[in-house]
Amino acid sequence: MIEFYPQIRLVHIAAVFASGGLFFLRGAGVQLGAQWPMVAPLRYLSYTIDTVLLTAALMLASLLHQYPFVHAWLTVKVLLLVVYIVLGMFALRRGRTRMARLGCWVLALLVYALIVSVARTHHPLGLLHRWAG
Amino acid sequence: MDSSRRLWLGLAALLIASFGVLLFMGGEIHRKAPPMPERVLGSNGTLIYSQADIQKGRQVWQSMGGMQLGSIWGHGSYVAPDWSADWLHREATAVLDGWAQREASAESYAALSAERQAALRGRLEARMRLNTWDAATSTITLDEDRAAAIVAVAGHYRSLFGNDPATAALREAYAMKNDTVPDADNRHALTAFFWWTAWAATTNRPGKNITYTNNWPGEPLVGNRPPATTYLWSAFSVLFLIAGIALLGWHHAVTHGRSQEPQQLPATDPLALVRVTPSMRATAKYFWVVLALFLVQILLGAITAHYQIEGQQLYGVELSQVLPYSLTRTWHTQLAVLWIATAWLGTGLYIAPAISGHEPRFQRLGVNFLWVCLLVIVVGAFAGQWYAVMQKLGLEYNFWFGHQGWEYADIGRFWQWFLFIGLMLWLVLMGRALWPAIRRGDESRSIVGLLFLSTVAIGVFYGAGLMWGEHTSLSMVEYWRWWLVHLWVEGFFEVFATAVIAFLFTRLGLLQAKTATIAVLFATIVFMAGGVLGTLHHLYFAGTPTAVLALGASFSALEVVPLAYIGFEAYHTWKLGHATSWMARYRWPIMFFVAVAFWNLVGAGLFGFLINPPLSLYYMQGLNLTPLHGHTALFGVYGMLGIGLVLFCLRGLKPGLVWNEGLLRTSFWSLNIGLALMGLLTLLPIGTMQLLAAIDHGYWYARSADFMQKPIVELLVWMRVPGDVIFSIGAVAFTWFVMRLWMAPRHEAQLPQGSRAAEK
Ligand code: HEM
Ligand SMILES: [Fe+2]
Repeated sequence: MIEFYPQIRLVHIAAVFASGGLFFLRGAGVQLGAQWPMVAPLRYLSYTIDTVLLTAALMLASLLHQYPFVHAWLTVKVLLLVVYIVLGMFALRRGRTRMARLGCWVLALLVYALIVSVARTHHPLGLLHRWAG
Repeated sequence: MDSSRRLWLGLAALLIASFGVLLFMGGEIHRKAPPMPERVLGSNGTLIYSQADIQKGRQVWQSMGGMQLGSIWGHGSYVAPDWSADWLHREATAVLDGWAQREASAESYAALSAERQAALRGRLEARMRLNTWDAATSTITLDEDRAAAIVAVAGHYRSLFGNDPATAALREAYAMKNDTVPDADNRHALTAFFWWTAWAATTNRPGKNITYTNNWPGEPLVGNRPPATTYLWSAFSVLFLIAGIALLGWHHAVTHGRSQEPQQLPATDPLALVRVTPSMRATAKYFWVVLALFLVQILLGAITAHYQIEGQQLYGVELSQVLPYSLTRTWHTQLAVLWIATAWLGTGLYIAPAISGHEPRFQRLGVNFLWVCLLVIVVGAFAGQWYAVMQKLGLEYNFWFGHQGWEYADIGRFWQWFLFIGLMLWLVLMGRALWPAIRRGDESRSIVGLLFLSTVAIGVFYGAGLMWGEHTSLSMVEYWRWWLVHLWVEGFFEVFATAVIAFLFTRLGLLQAKTATIAVLFATIVFMAGGVLGTLHHLYFAGTPTAVLALGASFSALEVVPLAYIGFEAYHTWKLGHATSWMARYRWPIMFFVAVAFWNLVGAGLFGFLINPPLSLYYMQGLNLTPLHGHTALFGVYGMLGIGLVLFCLRGLKPGLVWNEGLLRTSFWSLNIGLALMGLLTLLPIGTMQLLAAIDHGYWYARSADFMQKPIVELLVWMRVPGDVIFSIGAVAFTWFVMRLWMAPRHEAQLPQGSRAAEK
């Protein structure tokens, strides 16, 4: 299936940006106190994008024979993803105070950026490894 | 004579006639089964295989998972090849290559000109179809070229089922573990069995130009093409279907609107008054087990699907060394039946005392005892299968305690008996609780009796799985196996589904018992008219005579007739769900019952009939179009029914609780959408591509590693992931819903006044 590698990678990256972009917009909306970020069509759109994203990720992992919990950078991505999801939930819905929602939103975006940089560098520390090493 | 009496008589006559013919056909299949030779000789007298080899080979095949790894005569699983078709193609190619080298000094048959190839093919067809079975000496004699080819093909299989690096790539493509059969003698015996199934598929029946398997599989090299009867009976089966639909349409037109005196609806939920007895309360743990088995089943399904991508691994873990494909698939298919059955067992035990208002002595003890037995069976049978597939059990005990290898009937014989006795115990427990209600002889007696009879049939017909022995001919095992599988799902389960839903509505006071009885009786007759002899549609190519094909195609087409009208039932169900305000309490069970009707039409009716005419099944058997039907019908109809019944019982079991509607809505839609996506994005497209490949190049090619490893096929397999994820979310949401009823219940009384409106 390696023939489809470029296309799958493209879908994965496009979904990454769509997912992050949507989260950014919805989070901003929530900070402004708007109702639209939580309407059903947008929620379902976000689920759809994330399912596509994850499917493409699993495909890439099996194509490249690089696996989470085997290869460090993928392990880090999966763990950060969990952190990102939890933070995202608090940013959009669960956070009790406005400050909590805002903090979670900013932190989630930072984690998101870190995941992208880990992906770009194929290094567990992402762009941070320049300073670390 | 009143109409329900007439219907009872009609049903009895129908069943006697249908089962009479079915049993007679069983005798025919037995008499016409492909012979099992004492010895297979080369023309110079050397022994190629003995009967002992073939029989032992079959045991080896069963012990490694049988139909759960590749298929035989088209029955089994879909990642590894059909071994009969694969052997046949390899043997034919080996003979042709030998001739090309000897006579044309060419490298292979493929290197020859088309004209030369045609000449060799003509010779091959005559030789391979020639029947050299001598009944007097129980001997099959083969010419030297074939004997040499068999040695070569057997060498390939010995390598494949062992640990030879030369075939490692194929093992990975077929999702086989290394050392599938570590013992060399056993591997040799296995080749004898595969050869024999291929021999029956290529060799003409004495005096006929049609093979023992009705020319299945399609193989251009040896002139295996669909016989004329497949065209004939396919066309006629469509005709019968249309005629059946017209006839039933007429019947509906005539009886429409008759005797529909408006029903006095109860003001409150009658079931809310039911006293929950200790034995009823004891059924709760059945439903917990249902949830656990369902979740494990999904997990095993995901792993099985993943093996289609990475044949031996799971994201870098060498899983096939401890949990190979054939085991995950075995447990996946088995758990499907087990959790659905458990849901029904629990439902039966729950409603029986509710109906009669009578709690027999020691009933609770019986319910608990049966539950423990079920757990012992699941754990014991699965453990035996693990030891069998890992080849740690030995052939001697395999049949009784290991893996029988027959899909849907693969637990050891001991466990089959245990389960059968368990089902009988279930019937006894139900019967004694129901007895007062049946004796009472009031209005509802008939419908209670009908419901009870359908459960008796389910229990008793499990006994069909005990009819074969370790060495019964393959065709006869298939015959009895489909008694079990087909007569369950296309016969008594359909009746049970119709009866239980109608029954629940009578209990809710929405339907008169008399109307319901007549409707259910009529439906039973219609289901059984096609369903009983329809069994034979699984046996077109299982070493059976042509009459099987004719009867199977004609009667199974009639099975689709009632499904074409299932919209009536769905609408009726849905309408009753809105009949009174308190029916809102049952909104989600009702929605699951509507889904039962929907998938009965789509999964069983449409996708079932897609593969049903003999000409279709000739190519489609064992392609991805079969699991398309299998998943949408088995989960779509009976899985949804199981969930609906569990919900129904939970209303009474945990009375006075507020239900989390959001969780149920998520669960309902995720399960339905996930199931649809699995079919539409993966199974239907791959199956269609395979179909074209099978028609153009022969059946073996559609199942070969070359085809299944095509990038587009792998891509389509991946397309399952979104649907499967959505489906799993539905299952988890449902589990979460049920768990919260126990762990974090919200009582109606705790709600502020006014917010209970939707619940009332
Ligand atoms: C709710 C009812 C039904 C259920 C649960 C059901 C289930 C199944 C299952 C589990 C299989 C085996 C699939 C596999 O091996 O992967 C199967 C095979 C099959 N079913 Fe059904 N089925 C139902 C109704 C029907 C109907 C109405 C028809 C057509 C009239 C039909 C025709 C077939 C055929 C032709 C096969 C393949 C037979 C073979 O490979 O020998 N089924 N079904
Ligand atoms: Fe069937």
